[in-house]
Amino acid sequence: MSLLKVENISYSVLVKDETKKQFDILKNVSFEVENGEILGICGESGGGKSTLAKVIAGLIKPDNGKIILNSKLNNKKSSPIQILFQNHGEVLNPFRKISSVIDEVLVINRIDKKYIEKERENILNSVGFPKGLYNRRGFQLSGGEQQRAALARLLATNPVLLILDEPFSAQDVESQLKLVKLFKALNTEFKITIICISHDLRILKNLANRVIILKDGEIVESGLTKEVFNNPKEKYTKFLLSAEALNLTYEQIQNTSKL
Amino acid sequence: MLSVDIKSVSISEEKKRRKILSDISFNIETGKIYTILGKNGSGKSTLIKSLTALLPGEEFTSSGKVFFNEMDLLKCPKEKLREIRKHNIRYVFQDAANSFDPLKKIKYYFDLTNVSPLKIEELLLFFLLPPYKKLSMLHSYELSGGMAQRLLIVLALLANPDLLILDEPTSEVDYAVMNLILLKVKNFVRDNNKSVLIVTQDINFALKSSDYIAYLSDKKLTKFYTRDEFVTSQDDKVKYFIQSFKEISDVSAKS
Repeated sequence: MSLLKVENISYSVLVKDETKKQFDILKNVSFEVENGEILGICGESGGGKSTLAKVIAGLIKPDNGKIILNSKLNNKKSSPIQILFQNHGEVLNPFRKISSVIDEVLVINRIDKKYIEKERENILNSVGFPKGLYNRRGFQLSGGEQQRAALARLLATNPVLLILDEPFSAQDVESQLKLVKLFKALNTEFKITIICISHDLRILKNLANRVIILKDGEIVESGLTKEVFNNPKEKYTKFLLSAEALNLTYEQIQNTSKL
Repeated sequence: MLSVDIKSVSISEEKKRRKILSDISFNIETGKIYTILGKNGSGKSTLIKSLTALLPGEEFTSSGKVFFNEMDLLKCPKEKLREIRKHNIRYVFQDAANSFDPLKKIKYYFDLTNVSPLKIEELLLFFLLPPYKKLSMLHSYELSGGMAQRLLIVLALLANPDLLILDEPTSEVDYAVMNLILLKVKNFVRDNNKSVLIVTQDINFALKSSDYIAYLSDKKLTKFYTRDEFVTSQDDKVKYFIQSFKEISDVSAKS
């Protein structure tokens, strides 16, 4: 059953230079997210991936279109859609310890006081955040630790849909692999539906059940991950795959804009 | 061409000394591409900075020898070192946008190269950058991160150095640009008989670009393996690193 319906989303901005042209970031984007799946959204920089994430999370109001969350599947008390931003370090309040950042969310969610400590530990445990760092503040953590703390804070809100915006960038393979395993565990154990935005096809191949390929604000291809990546139908998908394998010729790179 | 024998590099933190690198030695020959792989925080950037004494002396202490064409760079006078960094050993650092002076237009950097605009234009075109006329009137903060990085590579190539050192060249660029960098680096080495040293965590790029690969971890550097030797290496740390890479790319591992 579909958890979320994205219908004909369009979004544009005015270019700031003297031309004042209208620039379409998203053009008539429609798709559905099935309950319990991991959906990958990939494409190059500037394709509209992050904007789409913000529209789904309700942070940007689109010019046109609707985002419909299946209310039957959303029986949770609090904010059903959460987004893990690219700049995860900046979302942690620098004045607060990680423990209090998590507690705050739990208090807002009316978790009984006696259970808060246990709940906090459960959540931080589930993302693999080390116990010794509970009393640190955001800026005293490494990038990877910040990301886990930010993720824990999102989980404390008890979401049904988690949007991850480029969660793997600037990490080495070993940390990336740990994250992939963590996201799969969140998906299976906590039954959280996940939309993962990434330009890294290699990781999406492993993580996502279904993928959507976005180019210049339009969906060019979508389907089961295996099918899209093993039998790409569109030129652009083929281009992305050979680009990922570092097999492009100079002519192919030059011609990307014409695809 | 470059012969490195670094005994140790340590950093002083709150009056304590902590060793970052120890007993690193390798040679760089002309006409080859070398990659040092390593995880975040393994000391890759520190290592390449130590080669031409770029680490701030008040925090870092280094001992050892780095010979470039039979001259010990770590004992070299500052003026001479600056000349070498300008003409012979060029760096492209990770944080490209911050490598420029924000008060200067890009023209300033083009003028410093003493290369004709026509020749510069050729390279800009290759890297899909805006034309010379337009780009030279911009300030660095008007460039995107990816553009700044490509421009830094262009400026480094214009100096026609003997050794080009790239720090995480693929971390902030999309696939198309990654392919561009790969093509250019290979041409640069092949056509001019120059050398390139790359430090990165991108094993994919390393395997595609390099003649020799070494792995840095726990302060130590393995020897430089050929590509085939590297993927079949019996070194536990190298094996584990490659295993993670394989596992993440492996579709069948999907639960």
